[in-house]
Amino acid sequence: MDPLKRLYVVTGKGGVGKTLISLGLAKHLQSLGKKVVHNSFDQSTHDRLCSNLDIPTWNSSLEESATIYIARKLGSETIAKWVMKTPFFSSLFDMVPGLGYMIYLGHIIDRLRNDPNLIMVLDSPSSGHLLTTFEVPHNFREIFGSGILVHDINKMEESLLSPNFLKTLIICLPNQLSLSEGRELKEKLAERKIQGAEILINDSISLIPGLNKDDLPNCLQEKIKIEQHLFEGVESFDELTKIPHFSSLDEKEIIMALQNYVKGLV
Amino acid sequence: MKPKPIEIFCGTGGVGKTTMASSRAIHLATQGKKVLLITIDPSRRLKEVFGLNDDLAGEVETVTNDRIGSDKKFQFDAMLMSPQATINRMIQGSSKGELLKNPIIKTLSKPYGGMNEIMAMIEVNLRLKGKKYDTIVLDTPPGKHFIDFLESAQKINQFFDKSFLDLFRYLGKSFEGSRTQNISKKILGGIVAKGVKKLLSYLDKVTGQMFVEEFIDAVSGLYQNREYFLEGLELEEKLKIQSFSNWFLVTSVEQQKVTQAGELKDQAVQFMHYDNFLIVNKTLQKQLSDWNPQSDINKALKDSMIFREEMIMSFSRKNFNRILEFEEILSDSPSEHVLKLSESWDQISL
Repeated sequence: MDPLKRLYVVTGKGGVGKTLISLGLAKHLQSLGKKVVHNSFDQSTHDRLCSNLDIPTWNSSLEESATIYIARKLGSETIAKWVMKTPFFSSLFDMVPGLGYMIYLGHIIDRLRNDPNLIMVLDSPSSGHLLTTFEVPHNFREIFGSGILVHDINKMEESLLSPNFLKTLIICLPNQLSLSEGRELKEKLAERKIQGAEILINDSISLIPGLNKDDLPNCLQEKIKIEQHLFEGVESFDELTKIPHFSSLDEKEIIMALQNYVKGLV
Repeated sequence: MKPKPIEIFCGTGGVGKTTMASSRAIHLATQGKKVLLITIDPSRRLKEVFGLNDDLAGEVETVTNDRIGSDKKFQFDAMLMSPQATINRMIQGSSKGELLKNPIIKTLSKPYGGMNEIMAMIEVNLRLKGKKYDTIVLDTPPGKHFIDFLESAQKINQFFDKSFLDLFRYLGKSFEGSRTQNISKKILGGIVAKGVKKLLSYLDKVTGQMFVEEFIDAVSGLYQNREYFLEGLELEEKLKIQSFSNWFLVTSVEQQKVTQAGELKDQAVQFMHYDNFLIVNKTLQKQLSDWNPQSDINKALKDSMIFREEMIMSFSRKNFNRILEFEEILSDSPSEHVLKLSESWDQISL
């Protein structure tokens, strides 16, 4: 079996179930005896759910990460705070949000480097956003050309691209549009040398165990047809991870059940 | 529903903003309106729906009914946002070439470079001023990026106003008129202001000398063209006028993040007027409530799906006066999807 990765990024469009799957993944890694933290990448956090599940979280904000970074570079926290507050810098930061994302990502990678036993599960914002995040180091290297910053960017990319560091899970819904968007994202990531992203299909009605398919309203029968049509068209279908719709209304219960489905992906 | 010069579709990711905006464009075009549909969303579902060409990003393409296999005759313009193309269009005159050649501007204005939102604000404003269209339908990026878009006018203003004041106070009139060549040298030589000098020296330490020079060239290039950027501010004002804009916040039953839709509304509300719409997409309520499942597993499925619907409807009623419901369209073809949705618009009378 492959060794575990250090950073798991769960991405996909809004509402596909990224958060629950990322928590299920964290829970599974925990059950292997690993030290895991969950991160929401500057999006709204899920502190209550996480503490309910006993999953430690680690979150920062773009500003906080940038201040820490600058402080380290200039050797002074006071100066860093001053730099961040200058109208010039704060508006630059505003105008170029990618800069903030890059520093945040760098912060995450740093944390992982400093604690070799730590594994991080990142509940990433929607897919286009992830692409922006992975694109920025490349862009800024072009911009900066040389200097300490480029050195840091190179180090960061080295980690990201090293074989056992990163795994990206792309969550899709069981319809053609969603799946082709997932595949497009996978290709674009590969263009940026981010290999090995895996696509998961979530919330499938046809795969609910024990479902009586004759006892469904028209709309759900249509949905099932669409799913089956989709699944028939997928090559290497068996290797694709598919997750059924969970009828439970209890998020914790769903997350615990999800562990089983993400097992094969770590 | 009466069209307005600008109609904005916003919402968190994956709720069907693009499909919704596209269906609105078709609906208006079928009525003979001149429509431009712009998508800012970098995921660009629009190209999938209408078969738009990625190479033509930033250019206007005409979409006719035969392109998506519809018998109902219509025609409208559509565009995938490209920051680079907008800069190119926006800036006239001699400084253009140099600005576009600057490595910093070049990189940042790539499709995923991070200037999408700001350039979109400017693009929409340019199109409005062109007065070619009855309605511009705008498909915005998801969630936070949408707020970025709304805030971009203020950001532009701050960028040119506060930050540059210090920097350019020391450059004098000769700079305003001069060409950009070697400006960085002049600026570096000329800067005596303590704060700016200090800041640049920090920047220099971290990023290297070359960057600082190119950076100054980039910002001075932007500064020379500031009036084009500042025009984007006009749009922000216009968006607040009720007779000028329709706002649609799109949510979807599929979408399990009602709280995020609420947050988005709270953040956006300062930019829009109060006469806005909530769209609930993909509802199956009618069919589900008529369903009498027999087995426990089927019953649980019904309950969980009804629960989703109820969550979204209670959120909607709490936060919005005007709610538009669109039934989920079960079709595998994106174009069929959009066409059917456009018919749903025909039935809305408000």
